[in-house]
Amino acid sequence: MLPIARRLGVYVVTAWVAVTANFLLPRMMPGNPIQTLIGKLQYNVTPAEVNAIRLSFGGSLHNSLVHQYFTYLDQMFHGNLGVSITLSTPVTTILKGAVPWTVGLIGISTVLSFFIGTFTGALLGWTRGSRMDSLIPTATFFQAVPYFFLGTVMLLVFGSDLHWFPELGAYSLNVTPSWTWAFVSSAIRYGELPMISIVLSSIAGWMLGMRNMMITMVAEDFVLMSVAMGLPRRKVIMTAARNAILPSIANLSLAIGLVVSGALLVELVFNYPGVGNLLLNAVENEDYPLIQGIFLIITLAVLAANLIADLVYFALDPRTRTGATA
Amino acid sequence: MSTDALERRAAADVVAGAASPPSGSGMNERILQINDFCVDYGVDEGAVRAVDGVDLHLDRSKVLGVAGESGSGKSTLVYGFTRLLRAPALITGGTAFFNVGPASEGGPDEFIDLVTANEATLRRVRWTQISVVIQSALNALNPVVRVGSLFNQVFKAHRREMSRADRRTRAIELLELVGLNPDRLQRFPHELSGGQRQRVMIALALALDPQLVIMDEPTTALDVVTQREILGELAELRARFGFAMIFITHDLSLLVELADEIVVMYAGRLVERAGARALYDAPRHPYTLGLLNSFPPMHGERQELTGIPGAPPDLSDLPSGCAFHPRCPYAMERCAAERPPLAKLSEEGRYVACWLHVDEVHATVPVELRRAVPTTSAGEGGAT
Repeated sequence: MLPIARRLGVYVVTAWVAVTANFLLPRMMPGNPIQTLIGKLQYNVTPAEVNAIRLSFGGSLHNSLVHQYFTYLDQMFHGNLGVSITLSTPVTTILKGAVPWTVGLIGISTVLSFFIGTFTGALLGWTRGSRMDSLIPTATFFQAVPYFFLGTVMLLVFGSDLHWFPELGAYSLNVTPSWTWAFVSSAIRYGELPMISIVLSSIAGWMLGMRNMMITMVAEDFVLMSVAMGLPRRKVIMTAARNAILPSIANLSLAIGLVVSGALLVELVFNYPGVGNLLLNAVENEDYPLIQGIFLIITLAVLAANLIADLVYFALDPRTRTGATA
Repeated sequence: MSTDALERRAAADVVAGAASPPSGSGMNERILQINDFCVDYGVDEGAVRAVDGVDLHLDRSKVLGVAGESGSGKSTLVYGFTRLLRAPALITGGTAFFNVGPASEGGPDEFIDLVTANEATLRRVRWTQISVVIQSALNALNPVVRVGSLFNQVFKAHRREMSRADRRTRAIELLELVGLNPDRLQRFPHELSGGQRQRVMIALALALDPQLVIMDEPTTALDVVTQREILGELAELRARFGFAMIFITHDLSLLVELADEIVVMYAGRLVERAGARALYDAPRHPYTLGLLNSFPPMHGERQELTGIPGAPPDLSDLPSGCAFHPRCPYAMERCAAERPPLAKLSEEGRYVACWLHVDEVHATVPVELRRAVPTTSAGEGGAT
């Protein structure tokens, strides 16, 4: 189990570096949030008012950088990410509102796309050269079309014209967010079209990757060996697929890590209240605490996904375990 | 598949119908009979014939050696009749009758044609009757599967009645047969040495007591010491279990100790077939002679290694007549014009495809190719 411990150590160090960079970067930028805020006020600000604003944001800007850093770490560990300048709400509260939508929509779409794409990819690789191969240019087409175009067209055709799907937002205006069936079903109903569009635009990658690995694996001696052993066809395909899926698993973990950052275009096109939309607004308004908060959870999500991928790989591919056995 | 290829395949089926399996009542000594076997790579104009009209037969508990350079078609032949070839390889003709034993108690042995057998039939024969030891054991063992699971896969596919404990007992027994510690069952292939992996392959191949074990250069990737050990073990195992073996190698000196009969392939055709000792001591085909001179003998005095000049031919552009004639030191005019058939020699059980040995040709047979076979086979070492 030593390699796992070693890897965990690496992740702790990486997380610390990321958190520190997240602290330092905004402070290295010219100007500061209070200046920005004052600039936005339409009247002359007295020094007393400047001080008041400063105090309301923690009043620590006169303290040394080191002192600020430890305050930052301390507050972060206590779940305090500061207060958003534009929304005047704690960043944690804002994130709690946005992250579940993004994780729900993008996360489920990514996983769906992975499963459907990998499964068809495995079949395509096994039956190489069959008529099914025409699926590939079709899927690639949807991935090649710019997403904002694909999303908008789908919204127009299936939403506005055909009324098969509700159009904008994450849930109907007639329901209030709560754990009731009315709300959940509404959220699912509103999520369908964005989800279909995401799966459609991302499935080609999974499919092609798996198909190509599968073709490589089918040519391997151990697959020939399982045929020679007289194993049922299903088992032979599984043997090839089991080995072909490893790179896809690595890609999935990367994709999962990026789920939290949201799909900006999806959220814009479908007016979805996710992290992508939030980040765009935060950057536009120079809302430093919010930007930092979003970066922090994106960083941690990527790290966590990588860690999970490492562990899954560890379980799936014994060759990565060398060193584990003496 | 193009229609042309389909027609050729159909024509091959007709031929298959014409050839009949060895017959006879009760136990039949013949376990494999291959006739006019052809394999092409690709179809239509691009097709390249990798195995061309090969006839072979193998009796129970015998060892047949198949020798030849890389690209001579020896592996294609074997993977062809076991139906393990993948596209673009295509069997374009011939039959391969395999003895699957009596259909009913005491009845005559049944033969099935592997060339025309369907998937289900092939699955029943594979590993239970014919097993294969693939050349590179590292690539042939699934890297993510423990050795024990490989045995389990085999037993689960063919011996459903075996319990978990039975499977484990049998797997341990098999590992011990090839001199491996039972704790290897828990290991992954990459944790084993080359020799251990090859032993695992052999243990796997023997798991279901097959009648025929095919060895595709099983020792080529191993060092000479391990090679010796494994060959020794194979001989013991064969003596104990009596399976027949087809052994593919380019190393003739190795075959002579192991095989009963040897066939030599060149450019997809058989050029010589003889008893192992006779072929080694007194080769009749210039190519066989060249092969023998390319390897130091395992025993006996040192001799100069001469090798064979030139390179194996391009199968898509074979020389006219005898495919070997551009490299043959004894080539005559006729060799470039006509292809010699595999003809029987006056000596017992010897066949050679070379004009030098055809009676009506009054060519002088070079002295190297008319050595007499020593009558006493006890004397070790090559002929003098």
